[in-house]
This record gives sequence, structure tokens and C-alpha cells, in this order.
Amino acid sequence: MIDVTDLVVSYGTATALDHVTLSVRQGEMVALLGPNGAGKSTLANTLAGILAPVSGTVRIGGRLALIPEGRQLFPDMSVADNLALGGWRSGQRDPSAVYELLPRLAELAGRRAGVLSGGEQQMVAFGRAMMARPEALVVDELSLGLAPTVTADLAAHLAELNREHGLTVLLIEQNARLAFELCHRAYVLESGRLVAEGESAELAEDPRVASAYLGGAIT
Amino acid sequence: MSAFLSYLLNGLAVGCAIALIASGLVVIHRVTGVVNFAQGTFAVVAGLCASSLLGMGLPHGLSEVAAVLAGAVAGLLTGLAAIGRRGTSPLSALIVTLGVGVLAYAVEIVLWGDQPRSAPGLAGSVTIAGARIQTQHLLVICVTAATFVLIALFFGRTYLGKALTACASNPYAARVVGIDTRRMGLLAFAIGGLLGGLAGVLITPLRPISFDTDVTLIVNGFAAAVFGALTRPVITLIGALLLGVAETMAAGYGYGSHQLEVALGLMILVMIVQASRRSTIHEETV
Amino acid sequence: MRRLAGGLLVAAATLALPAVLDDSALAVYILLGLAAMVTVGVSLLMGYAGQVSLGQGAFYAIGAYTAALLALGGVPPLAGLIAAPLVAAASALVIGTPLLRLRGHHLAFATLAMQLILLSVAGQMEFTGGDIGLQAIPQFGIGSWEMSSAAAYAYLTWAGVALVMLVTYNVSTSRPGRALRALATSETAAASSGIPVGRYKLAVFALSAAFAGLAGSIYCFYTGYVAPGSFPVLISIQYIVMAVVGGLGTIWGAVVGATAITLLVQGLNIVGALPGMPTYAPSVLSYAVYALVLILVVLFLPQGLLPALTRRLPSRVRARS
Repeated sequence: MIDVTDLVVSYGTATALDHVTLSVRQGEMVALLGPNGAGKSTLANTLAGILAPVSGTVRIGGRLALIPEGRQLFPDMSVADNLALGGWRSGQRDPSAVYELLPRLAELAGRRAGVLSGGEQQMVAFGRAMMARPEALVVDELSLGLAPTVTADLAAHLAELNREHGLTVLLIEQNARLAFELCHRAYVLESGRLVAEGESAELAEDPRVASAYLGGAIT
Repeated sequence: MSAFLSYLLNGLAVGCAIALIASGLVVIHRVTGVVNFAQGTFAVVAGLCASSLLGMGLPHGLSEVAAVLAGAVAGLLTGLAAIGRRGTSPLSALIVTLGVGVLAYAVEIVLWGDQPRSAPGLAGSVTIAGARIQTQHLLVICVTAATFVLIALFFGRTYLGKALTACASNPYAARVVGIDTRRMGLLAFAIGGLLGGLAGVLITPLRPISFDTDVTLIVNGFAAAVFGALTRPVITLIGALLLGVAETMAAGYGYGSHQLEVALGLMILVMIVQASRRSTIHEETV
Repeated sequence: MRRLAGGLLVAAATLALPAVLDDSALAVYILLGLAAMVTVGVSLLMGYAGQVSLGQGAFYAIGAYTAALLALGGVPPLAGLIAAPLVAAASALVIGTPLLRLRGHHLAFATLAMQLILLSVAGQMEFTGGDIGLQAIPQFGIGSWEMSSAAAYAYLTWAGVALVMLVTYNVSTSRPGRALRALATSETAAASSGIPVGRYKLAVFALSAAFAGLAGSIYCFYTGYVAPGSFPVLISIQYIVMAVVGGLGTIWGAVVGATAITLLVQGLNIVGALPGMPTYAPSVLSYAVYALVLILVVLFLPQGLLPALTRRLPSRVRARS
């Protein structure tokens, strides 16, 4: 569903992604780990078509939606309007399907997005992405700044969509525990290069990954 | 008293024309971040078009609509020059629109000459509470009121209008959901052209327009728009009406030769107050 | 070494030209020098302080009116010539103190407004001669010697250009000058590194006004006449076109830009005045040229003509990104 080959993306003279190759098959849920500034969000924006590659190819096998880092809602517009705009590409303007999926959003529909709590905003961002009727979803930092219970709730929704509707997910995370729990496979990105990839269980055993991302449990 | 009332109504009409120009500036600035120096040009183009079309014997209504559309086309062309090329910064785009305004001088002089032109509007006058007011002035007020209602409905209620608002609210997020912000910017320029054109068509019967009238129009429009910090339409409208009334009163009570200075001085003052308030907030949050 | 030789060659040509040009060509040569003088200031302001002034013509006018009023009041022309840039700079300090709190398009409009207000006031005041302006301004001279030939004015003008360039060069290589460079790229970064941003901006604004004032005073002695109509808004836009074409923040660029635009417009004026052309042709052509050059350079050569050309030379490495 998502095939990235030899991708190079740069800002002026600074190279953000340096020959990155990765793929996510249809219906798969894959994690992308890495520290701040590794190029994770650059990859997300390139997949969403907002940034253009310098070289390499990006192939997307279906409709893709992005939940961007920091939610990025339209703060002075209502939740309902935020959702409606999520359907810009798909033409779906009626959010009732998303209300069914995330009933809390129906209660918030009339509120201004900018005044909501972080967890509620992330839910709006989630719903807005689902308005695009995506076949693939890129989630950039699902858990960032959210309480663990809120994250768990959103993660459960994500897992359900993946399991029951075959939604392909690329989960970009700093929280490796969450990522390994949700995804069976993961990539590790550092300074614009992929430095490790494999089954989540194997990666969790890898001493380098464990020390960098799991709090140094294994030395 | 009736003199006061008639100055007030005339001033409101002048203010309405300024408001149309200013709201075009606001629409373009909100969506693209660009301050469009050629905003007065749209009014000039439309006004001159209307005078030509009416002169050619085309009926009222048709001529005016065609002229307003010409303003929209001018807006679109300006937008193509200002934001058509990727990576043009807002300040570079301002200089480009300045260039478009000067280029329009050349085109306008070739097409219409360099002498002021007028156009017939609604003739006659009506008496309201003892004050005589030209019918054309009333027309300006009514059309502007209707336009502002339509604009509010467009941006607040329609899907396309919301998409434009989204570009103003968070351009990155707009791109995330797949809105082509550049195309929306061009649409904003076309709407700006439409509003400027409307102003031009409405005021040409009141005061003749020539190619270089655009400077007065843009400066007044900008002065009103800074009241609303270039983003808030309602405050812009209030600013424009105040400006129109103040200028007309000044002229009516014998200070006519100073009305430009009053408007410009006021504009600078508002900007400086806003800037100092902004920097205090900045200092507090840092 | 090569640059020194080039500079000497340009200087020699500049000195030789007044001797060989006829009076109408000299007029162009003088106006070109005056425009270059103002443009160096505009380029400094835009390139080093990152500020757009749409009202530089106002300081040109202030300089011209100052020199004219003093000369008509019986003050020796030399004193007027010296007073004009000082008065212009002082006005810039007074106007700039509140105005330079603004930036970007706000400053652009505020400076434009400043020029419009000034023109309007000059057109209404008794002592400035109203719309008719001031006439019969005495020739420039020192003591009993009176400057009467156009060639002499050309030397005076270009001496002024040389002075302006020298001052700008010294400013740009000084420590504050290098700090100013940082200011143009990022004001916040400059402020956080301890540079007194506000004071430097004001100083550059005043300096650029002084250059314009000097040019204005030479203009008034040369033409013997000043009026509000001599300083339209378009003249301020013209300086921006010249500065942008030459490359912002480059001293030679400003002169190159002024030369290129003046010659282009003069050439088109000749074309426009050919028999069979409509009467409006010269003004239409010059409007069109200003506009197209400005748009094309901003969009396609944002660094300006001179840097775009010199970048090809391997001897000059530019650390601009």
C-alpha cells in the first residue's frame, strides 16, 4: 500500500531524508520510531504529498490520510466544520459515519476546535482524517502530550479500524512501548537514515533499540 | 441639522466604497498573507470599463456586471503574478502587486487615455428627514450592505467559503486535508478583484476616475483594513465607515483640503498603536 | 587587483563623460547620478535593514525644499547643500522613531502615507509656494564663483555619488554594518544576540534619508525649480525598482540598477517620441518598463542583476543561502 524507494528529501541544503526505503503492505500496521529531528515528520509530509522528494519514489496504492504532528486543527472553526473539511478530497461532507465511530465527537460538534483539550483535539484530528475515507492512515505522534488513558483509547480505535476494516496504518511514534504493542513490525529512523527494521518482538530485544527507546532496560 | 444628516449619509456612502476595497484587501490577506497593493487598480479598471460599456450604449445592469467581472479577472491575473510562483514571500508578493499596479497604468492609458472619466449612475435625489441625499449614494449603501451579508454567508456557510477560511486559519492543515492553498489564494484574489470592481462601478458616477485614482483608493482601503488588523472584516467595515464620515464631514465643514492627511495620519497612528501593543504582548509571552 | 583596476576604469569614465556629452545627454547623466545616490540609500535600507520604504521620494523632496528655501532666503548655496541632507536625516529620525516600530507591509504603507502627507502639505503651505512650488532658485556656487555649466553640475553630482558610496562602504564593513546584515535575515536572532536592532534600523533610515536629501538639494540647484509635482509617488517606486534590479544591499548594484533603468527609460522615451507614435507613448512605455522589470526581477532574479552576474565569477564566493 505504501512503497517508498530510495527517498531523498531536503530543505535547501539540509538533507532531511537520506535514501530511505520502506514499505507497508495492505492491512498492515507498522511503526516508525526515531528521536526528534530524525526526519519522521518529513516522511509523513512527503507521503501526504505536502513535500516533494528530491529523488526516489513514493508509491501510494490507495487514498491516504495524515494525522499531523500537533493535531493541526482549524482552531477558530467548529468541530463539525473541521470534520467536514477533512472530506475535501473524498467529497464526503456529512460526518455522521465518523460520529458513529467516535461518538464523543458528536457531542463536541458545535464547539470551537481551539478550546478543546489535547485529547479531544487529537480525536478531532483522528475523525478529520477518517473523513477522507482513507485506505491508508499515517499517524504522526499519536501519544505526544496526551494522558496515557487518552492514548490507550485512541490506540484501541486505531487497532479496531486496522483489524475490522483492513485500514493500513503507519504509526510514527516516540513511545516505543506503545508502538511495539500496536504494530507487529517497525522501522527505526535516525538523522534521516533507516538504522534498523524488523519484527517488533525482535527489535525490542535489540540492545541498541532497547537502550535508546525503551529506557535502557537491557544493557 | 439637515446638513449634518446629509454629510453623514454621504459619508456613509463614501465609507461603503472604502469598505468594499478594504474587504477585498482583507480577503486576500487572510487567505494568502499578501497585502495587495493593486486593490485600488481593480476599482479603476472596473470603473473605466463601466464608463466605456455604458458609452457604447450597453444597458445599465449588464454594463456594470461586466465591469465588475473585469475587476475579478484583473484580480485573478494579479494573483497569478503575486503567488503563482512557488516560494514568493509575502513581502516580495507585495512588491509584485505594486508592479502590477504600475503596469495597469500603462494598459489603462492606452485603452482609456489619461483623463478622468465618469459614468451615469442613478439620477436624482431623495429627501430623508429633511436631508437631501443623492440616489446613487443610497444605492452604494444598499449594495455594500447586501455584499457584506453575502460575503459573510459565503465564508461562514458554504463549503468553499469554509475551505478559504481554513487556508487563513491554518494553511498547513489545509494542505493536510488536501486543499490546494495556491488555488484558494487565486480564488481569494479573484474575490478581491470582484469587491474592488464593485467599489469602482459604484463610485464612478459619484467622482470621476482616472488611471492614478488607485493610490487614493488603496491608501483609504488600507487605512480601513488596518483597523481590523487586516484580518477582521467587521472591524474593517466600521473603520471604513468612520473614515468615510470623517472625511466627508471634514470636507463639508470646510477642512476639505486636509481630508487626506487626516485619513493617512489616522492610519499611521492605528498601526503604531497596534504594533506597540503587539510588542508588549510579545515581551510578556517570551 | 582586478577589482581595483575595474574601479579605476569606472572612475575614469565617470570623470571623462561630462567633457564629451552634450547638454541633453548631460541632463540624463545628472539625473542618473541623483537617482543612484538615492538608490544606494534604498538598497542599504532594504538589503541591510530589511525595510521597504515606499516614501524615499519624501526625503528627496525635503532635501530639495530645504536647499531651495535657504537659497531663496539668501543663505550661501554651499550651506544649503550641507543643510539639506542634515534636515532630511533629522526628519527621518523624527518620523522614523514611531514609524520603524512597524515592519513589512505596514512600514511600506506608512512610508507611502508619509510622502503623500508631505506632498499634500507642501502643496498647501504658503512658504513652500503651494502647488506652483518654488522658482528662480539661484545657481549653486561657492563665494563669488557661480556654477553655470551642466558639466559642472555633473561633476558635483558624481562627487556626491562617490561620497555616498564611500560612506555606505564604510558603514557596511564596520562592526555595526555586519550586525545589520544579521538584522536583515532575522530580526529576532539579531535582537537576541544583543544587537540594538531599533537604533541601528533608525540609523540606517536616517542615513538613507541623508543621501536622498543630498540628491534633492543638487536637483533643486540644477533645475532651479521645485514643486510637489516633481516628487510623485512613482519616483519612490522607481528607486525600489533600481535597488531591486541592482541587487539589494550591494553598493555597486544600486549604481548599476540606477544606470540600467535610467538608460532603458531614456531609450524608450526616444522610441516613444518618434514621429507617428501616440502622445501618450513615452509615459506608457516607462510605466510598462518599470512594472515589468520590477515584477520579473522580484520573481526570477530575487538577488538582483549584479549579484546574479558576479556569482558566475569564481573569485567571489558569496556566503548567501
